[in-house]
Amino acid sequence: MLESYIRSYNDAVFETDKEAAMAVVNKALADGVTPENIVFRLIIPAIEMMMAIIEKDPDANLAQHFMTAQIAADVTEKMLEKFSQPPEVIGRIVIGAAHGDLHSLGKRIVSGCLKALMVEVIDLGVNVSAERFVDAAVSENAQVIAISAMMVHTATGENGSQRVRALLQERGLEQKIKLAVGGAPYRFDPELYRKVGADAWAADGVTAGKMIVNLIREVKNDTA
Amino acid sequence: MTPLEILAAAINGKPAPRIPIFCNLLDQGARELAMTSKDYFSNGALVAEAQLKMLKRYGHDNVWSLHYVGKEAELLGCREILFANDGAPNVADFVIKSLDDISRFEIPPDITQVPAWQSVASCLQILKSEIGNTHPICAYVTASTTLPVILMGMEKWMELFLLGPFELRDELLRKCADFFHQYISALRAAGANVLVYSSPFGSPYFLSPDKIKKMVLPWMKHDLEPGGVADVVYYCGMAPFNNVIDLVFDELHITKHYTSPLDDLTTAKRIINTRGLTCGVIDDIKMIHWTVEETRAEVKRIIDIGKPGGHFLFGNGVMPLAVPEANIRAMVDAAFEYGGLE
Ligand code: B12
Repeated sequence: MLESYIRSYNDAVFETDKEAAMAVVNKALADGVTPENIVFRLIIPAIEMMMAIIEKDPDANLAQHFMTAQIAADVTEKMLEKFSQPPEVIGRIVIGAAHGDLHSLGKRIVSGCLKALMVEVIDLGVNVSAERFVDAAVSENAQVIAISAMMVHTATGENGSQRVRALLQERGLEQKIKLAVGGAPYRFDPELYRKVGADAWAADGVTAGKMIVNLIREVKNDTA
Repeated sequence: MTPLEILAAAINGKPAPRIPIFCNLLDQGARELAMTSKDYFSNGALVAEAQLKMLKRYGHDNVWSLHYVGKEAELLGCREILFANDGAPNVADFVIKSLDDISRFEIPPDITQVPAWQSVASCLQILKSEIGNTHPICAYVTASTTLPVILMGMEKWMELFLLGPFELRDELLRKCADFFHQYISALRAAGANVLVYSSPFGSPYFLSPDKIKKMVLPWMKHDLEPGGVADVVYYCGMAPFNNVIDLVFDELHITKHYTSPLDDLTTAKRIINTRGLTCGVIDDIKMIHWTVEETRAEVKRIIDIGKPGGHFLFGNGVMPLAVPEANIRAMVDAAFEYGGLE
């Protein structure tokens, strides 16, 4: 069982100690755990456990979210090179910061967790127009558009999520592509996501992973 | 009593007719003067004019010399701000693009000679001469541990801060602290009498209290040492910080706390008690969609918690431009109504 590794790995992540977390992974590899099992039986369960902890712990902080995502994404990337065959991906999303918004950390944390959860992430960068979000989602065959906004006007502005929703509607894409949002303004007003036409939101980057995986599953079930 | 005297009374627990009432309006100034955000913020005299007009319009206690936070980046070489007519300006050019830039990055020997300072100076000059003896004139200073965010982006700074290289991180922090010392003393000299110390990295939302103690506190001490803290307000950019209020009292000796609406006000008030000033802050992002009645009810809730025992101020965060004017008025009026002490 990998439980003791998971525990010491998460302890290190929670202390935001990257070196200690990497040491746990290297020890597991040295003990003969395969790269596949490192990802599927250590990293992914560790993230899932972290989601549960963060959801319950009001004192979990941004540094921990950041490290959870950062370390998990790094380890996963390294392990993927060593996989005997390419892993099965859960789905694909496009992510970016809203039109007029230049904040990038939120999107990076969300992306890191998703990558480790075997979701393909196409990062469109910052200050992304609504048209670009939708065009990219269509051309990349993505199930979810994820938009990060750190300011009120970029969250609620007419060129942001609201416009993405309008475009999805106009083009008849609402069954195929779901819209997820997050960022500071949504945390201050948990009802805000509805007002901008999103399907879901998450209060932090780690639980965002779970929410987005659920949306991907929804789309896949609907369109199956 | 003047608003400045009312503020002093609240801080010192002396009798006053009412609690102090802060209404922080920044981007609304451009609307007040019917200008684009870019034109408005290019001239400090306009900012002062709008601040004074809005003070008359709503009747609250304070004005701001702050144009927007990105101004500090401009003082340090940022060449592009993304202005928006429906919201706040945003830093669009990072002075530090790669870690190599840190050693080349230099703090101007005298920031009051930098062109970007002139607009702040002319704004403060007007505010000081018009209402300097009667009203709180607020200025905003970013802590050395947070300033790098607008110089290199939150993503790169978080990485450098937590993962190193630590010599580079400390080199940048030293430079940011040098800037801080110059900036806060220039603001004071120009007439600011309430210095809002913005320290999000000193909030448990960012780091564990333990890490704050080890990694942030020494820099906060270093920031604040030269000028003292008599006029300083602790603020974490609206991030919660109840868990470090005691630490801030014990180690930094800051007694005024601008709390977060994401924190429990009853707890903050209990911790601060009569040792200092609890600032109860309304969640102004919710005000965008609230009715006037909902706004009033929330003001009442906050003042009911904070007012008993005194040592209390009511305020908002950074009023989003999307908040209807009726709600701003309702907020201030309700604060006067419920904030009376006689
Ligand atoms: C730290 C901070 C600052 C710092 C650094 C800002 C920066 N990043 O550049 C400083 C002090 C410099 C600052 C300045 C300003 N700030 Co500020 N700031 C904050 C604070 C405290 C945290 C923001 C932050 O960087 N968080 C880091 C991110 C990664 O964390 P997060 O938002 O919580 O993200 C998590 C979740 O939201 C989620 N998530 C994020 N994106 C996504 C996307 C998806 C799809 C999903 C599912 C989830 C998700 O996962 C993330 C990780 O767990 C917030 C208030 C708060 N408590 O959140 C205000 C806040 C964002 N700031 C605000 C404002 C207004 C400003 C200024 C515009 C002020 C001004 N007038 O100049 C400036 C802009 C500066 C600039 N960039 O040019 C407002 C914005 C609301 C508004 N009124 O528009 C806020 C909300 C404060 C408030 N309540 O008024 N700020």
